[in-house]
Amino acid sequence: MSALSVATEATEAYAEAPSEPPSAAAEAGLVMVALLVALLVGYGWSLGFHLDNVHNGLIAASFSVMGLYVVRMRPRHREGWLLVAVGVVHAVMFFGRQYGRVAGPLPAASWIGWVGVWPLPLAIALFGWTFMAFPHGRMLSPRWHHAGLGMFAVAALMATTSALWPVDYDRVGLVSSHPLEVPGSQVAARLWPYLLPSYALFQVLWTAAVVVRLRLARGDEAHQMRWLVYATVMATVLLATGLAVFRTAVPGLLALPLIPVAAGIAILKYRLYDIDPVVNKTLVIGFLVLVITIGYVAIVFGVGALIPVGTGWLSLLTTAVVAVAFEPLRRRAQHVADRLVYGQRATPYEALSRLSAQLDETPEELLDGIAATVANAVGATEVVVWVGEVARLTPHAGWPGRPDPAEPSRLGDLDRGTHSHTLPIVYRGTVRGAITVCKLVGEALTPAEERLLADLVAQTGLVIAQQQQAQELRAAARRLVTAQDAARRRIERDLHDGAQERLVTMGLELGSLEEQAKATGEPELAARVRAVRAQLLEATAELREFARGLHPMVLTQAGLEAALGMLADRSAIPVRLTVALAGQLPREVEATAYYVASEALTNAARHSGAEVVTVEVAKVAEGLQVRVSDDGCGGARQGDGSGLQGLADRLAAVGATLTIDSPAGGGTRIRTVLPCA
Amino acid sequence: MIVADDAVLFREGMARILTEVGFEVTGLARNGAELVGQVRRDAPDVVITDLRMPPSFADEGIEAAAAIRSFAPNVGLMLLSQYVEVHHALRLMEEFDGAVGYLLKDRVSDLSSFAVDVRRVAAGHVVIDQELVSRLVSRRRERDPLAELSDRERQVLALMAQGLTNAALSEELVVSLKTVEGYIRNVFTKLGLQPGEREHRRVLAVLQFLRQQ
Repeated sequence: MSALSVATEATEAYAEAPSEPPSAAAEAGLVMVALLVALLVGYGWSLGFHLDNVHNGLIAASFSVMGLYVVRMRPRHREGWLLVAVGVVHAVMFFGRQYGRVAGPLPAASWIGWVGVWPLPLAIALFGWTFMAFPHGRMLSPRWHHAGLGMFAVAALMATTSALWPVDYDRVGLVSSHPLEVPGSQVAARLWPYLLPSYALFQVLWTAAVVVRLRLARGDEAHQMRWLVYATVMATVLLATGLAVFRTAVPGLLALPLIPVAAGIAILKYRLYDIDPVVNKTLVIGFLVLVITIGYVAIVFGVGALIPVGTGWLSLLTTAVVAVAFEPLRRRAQHVADRLVYGQRATPYEALSRLSAQLDETPEELLDGIAATVANAVGATEVVVWVGEVARLTPHAGWPGRPDPAEPSRLGDLDRGTHSHTLPIVYRGTVRGAITVCKLVGEALTPAEERLLADLVAQTGLVIAQQQQAQELRAAARRLVTAQDAARRRIERDLHDGAQERLVTMGLELGSLEEQAKATGEPELAARVRAVRAQLLEATAELREFARGLHPMVLTQAGLEAALGMLADRSAIPVRLTVALAGQLPREVEATAYYVASEALTNAARHSGAEVVTVEVAKVAEGLQVRVSDDGCGGARQGDGSGLQGLADRLAAVGATLTIDSPAGGGTRIRTVLPCA
Repeated sequence: MIVADDAVLFREGMARILTEVGFEVTGLARNGAELVGQVRRDAPDVVITDLRMPPSFADEGIEAAAAIRSFAPNVGLMLLSQYVEVHHALRLMEEFDGAVGYLLKDRVSDLSSFAVDVRRVAAGHVVIDQELVSRLVSRRRERDPLAELSDRERQVLALMAQGLTNAALSEELVVSLKTVEGYIRNVFTKLGLQPGEREHRRVLAVLQFLRQQ
């Protein structure tokens, strides 16, 4: 069976409630098994205390209880039955060994003690099989299945040998001897040491099986494997520490029940309890204990050997060092543990602080940043941020890349399969958008991830609301600017067709009148008419310049380059003009560029006292760049009444920013890039 | 002549007053298309047209003038406008082979000199508005090549740019033709300009020179 189909099965069967109500007969059967184990272990326990038998009793009790619980909840669960089998075999062995050790042999002690000895290889193989088949009771692949069968064959050979001859009797301490008198015990005793290393091979086999499965496992199965591995590693560490430090196996023995308990949780409750934080904390605490111990030993023995001071002082010194180093060490250990346990996933604090750091970015990038933060925080394969109303959501940002533009979707249609999660973004009671999170097949969101996601979504609601407000503001500003431009054009046109036309016609009539006065010999009248005409011409000239200032017709007629040339012609300061345009520019961009150059030139003429002004207008990748620099007195600032504020406002309306570099005495350089999208 | 302008008062007034000073107005047009149609039916000596007319209010006058030049190359073209812009003047000098004028509308109030300008255009000469030229001549430059010219030479340069012929220059400046030719030679040498064979080429060269820097 492939790893994938195993994972699918796990997804189908994760219910915690009994999959079907157990029948009365099945219930009775379970009770019988439970009573049998309780009887064997309880009676065996009452027969005396032998440390080398305790592990059998503990395994019997813990595996039976957990296995029976699992099969009661999920009668068809193979792993549950395997656990029960391990428990029952150990219960029988425990009883046999305890019974066989009572001095002044009890009745049938020889045979009952014998039952406590020879099944050992089979019990070990069964234990191994249980590990290899975890969490569903099936082997990873046919190949592993064959390996497991091979293990059982060897175990059966060993068990038969042990059943026929007293090869394993030396270390058990039974009162009665082996019940069978089969010839060839000498040969068996010589062969036995060559069979014993099989136990080590068994251990290698099932460890390999667990490691391989752990690496292949995804989603739920990975969570379940982590439970088992955590318990096994903890038990092993406790056993090793106990043996090394205290010279006793008791801590390891006491830790044995951890394994079936972890297995049971993994099978039945892994959705409720996330193992990752437990592993995380264990790593941190373990690391700190280790470091403090080493530190203590190093100071007390190391420093103590070099400098002859009292042990009291050394303890004090150690305490001080530990006190100072503890917090930084803990933080470092926490960090390493986070990386080990969660991979690149951020802690909630990291995620939120990263998010707040991104709040400074431009709104477009901000949502991308949120998508990346979410992906990072929950280990998602894909995150999409949707913006809009419940019935009209469009993808605006995403991770790992921005999503393709798509038709608006309804909130209910966003979910795509079991590995996708949709969270509506609600701000002040209104849906403003949604975040969809895709994880690997079968991988669910842990409660911690769900909480973090909820926090991030709340922040996103705020961001989207602000972004929409900013967009509305900018759109309003743009509308104002456009309306203003339109109004200027309309007034210029009205003047051209109205007042200017009338004044010119009046000039024509006055000219005619003047000629008539001259012709009829009225030089005085002619002179007065000429004077009126001159005044009229002055008025039309003023009006002409005013109209030109409203909207330069040359911009509409001949484009930006000609309009900039006109500005240069009329500038009070010599202008060096460089224009590098390619292709047609939007009218709005041309008008804004002209306005920038015009305002900048007016400013330079009024305030800078410059000898020359350079105007450079060029199409660049980001848009149309306008740079105006002079060699004047500098010191220009936005908001000093120089018109730069108006310029900045107008540029903001079209999504551009004004850069002003104007140190006192160092000339003024203003620069902007107008987006041409 | 035919007068084209979209403003009825100005159009009618022009026709009446130009008739008074001795021109024969053969037609009135409200836009470029009407003007071109009328010239096609009965080609006049000269056309006076507004530059900015319906429908686009951009440069219909120039477009109509170009159309007329293509089928009736002998018709003089006088363009009037509320503004005079350098790029229009340059286009007129480049694309039209003489017999073209470009004046502010205001100029019509000085009837006698306007009549002179119209006749010059009809006779194949070039007329450029003095405001445009004086703006270019007085333009602020970083290093002004005109500084090398004497006042008289500068005056000659400005009048040349307005399209005056050598004869008209000698009349305007009240000096002999030879003296005028001397001034012109000096100006061209000092500015490093190549004197053009034709009059409008000379105007173009001067305008382009003034436009630079």
